[in-house]
Amino acid sequence: MRARKLSNEKEQLVTEAKAIQIGVPKESMRDFIKEVMKMPGGEKILECIQCGSCAGGCPTIFAMDYSPMQIIKMINLGMKEKVLSSSTIWVCSLCYTCATRCPRNVDFPTLMMSLRNKAIRENLVNNCAKSNFHRYFFEVINKYGRMHVPELFVKLLDITNFNSLLRNVRLGLRLFKTGKLQLRAPKIETSWVSSMLEKTDQE
Amino acid sequence: MKYAFYPGCSNHSMAKDYDDSTKAICKVLDVELFEIPDWNCCGSIDAVYSFKPLYSIALAARNLAITEKMQMDLVTPCSACYFTLNRTNKILREDAGTKSKVNEALANLGFNYNVSVRVWHLADIILSDIVLQKIKEKVKNQLTKFKIASYYGCYLVRPPEICNFDDPEHPTHLDELVETLGASKIDYYGKTRCCGASLGMTNEELALKMSKDILLSAKNSGANCLATACHLCHLNLDARQKDIESRFNIKINLPVLYFTQIIGLALGIELKQLGLQRNWVSPKEI
Repeated sequence: MRARKLSNEKEQLVTEAKAIQIGVPKESMRDFIKEVMKMPGGEKILECIQCGSCAGGCPTIFAMDYSPMQIIKMINLGMKEKVLSSSTIWVCSLCYTCATRCPRNVDFPTLMMSLRNKAIRENLVNNCAKSNFHRYFFEVINKYGRMHVPELFVKLLDITNFNSLLRNVRLGLRLFKTGKLQLRAPKIETSWVSSMLEKTDQE
Repeated sequence: MKYAFYPGCSNHSMAKDYDDSTKAICKVLDVELFEIPDWNCCGSIDAVYSFKPLYSIALAARNLAITEKMQMDLVTPCSACYFTLNRTNKILREDAGTKSKVNEALANLGFNYNVSVRVWHLADIILSDIVLQKIKEKVKNQLTKFKIASYYGCYLVRPPEICNFDDPEHPTHLDELVETLGASKIDYYGKTRCCGASLGMTNEELALKMSKDILLSAKNSGANCLATACHLCHLNLDARQKDIESRFNIKINLPVLYFTQIIGLALGIELKQLGLQRNWVSPKEI
């Protein structure tokens, strides 16, 4: 069943790719390539030779819907929506194994971060747990200037499923028992945060 | 030797043992650390960066700007901060547009950053020839019972153009340290494999599986202890080890120590000062 589903999907990919090759490509598709090339990490995507070094070394590939090399190809074919709503960009653990091994110096992890940013801005997010985590993390940093783990834990309660919730609570207790959960919030001067955010929040 | 010390958020919370042991061994080894006054979050590898990239860069630049005023090199024990601060340096050096935007934001706070601060990982300093020589002279206990698998993780060695602590595929610096202390080193497959810490909060299943692979490969290669230099790896491999055991129905029981704790043991520093009581998987047996 799963194999069949995959092959269907592949067929669709091939049809889309062919459509582009015979000249149907819309300007909008090319726009996406140009846009990606301007992002941090996207400068060299046209140089990819599809060797598969990235996919071969990837520690999370089994949980992705498209492999890293497929994602690059899809970007080069202008398949914006599929790329931005894929699980790959959220499953990537940013370990930089692919970027280290890439013979053409494509900086895949940085590109993933840029695409996450774009997916959030364009509302095409497939994995909301991770994107919400980013927002919560940002909010905590914004409030205290540093990380405050208990507050992040509490904020995360609403996006985790029951099993990982149980595990996270147990993890929290364990950290607390060994004295590693700092309950008191970090106290540093944070009056500068808002002005910095204002200045850097242009995009 | 004097360095500006950037502890990182974790050192004050989840990694108190790392903080304690770092301070304890630096005292013995005459490495002077001056904590950066009023430091803030380094901007995070991806959490803030994916959400607001420029803001994240500015956060890191604020720390670097404070350090610039101190006129010292910066040392951080956290691999993630090491990566972020170095990445910020690289971006600001190469991209004049971003640099001017960031400096504009910093100007309000009374800073201007000229990208002159060098960022080191604590392991860089401790494993430099001079300090290593000092360690050799001061070793009190030979750790002959230890079979240590050194775990480098991601950001200590990758990407090589930002974090060049050692070879990205087959690093050996920590192994050399292990042999200096009289312990035996273990070669294993998971040395530089990712532990999945960045997914720990949102895609736990995946993170647990990734950590399991590392722990099992070390255990099966005959290790009785894992040495790490990163808070996040420690959190995933030590505090989550119980979860891994119950999730996959296996027994691992492999103590995970910071490399500073291991040095501390060899130097004969008191266990309490090294924060060893805070490890979840107790290293008592060894």
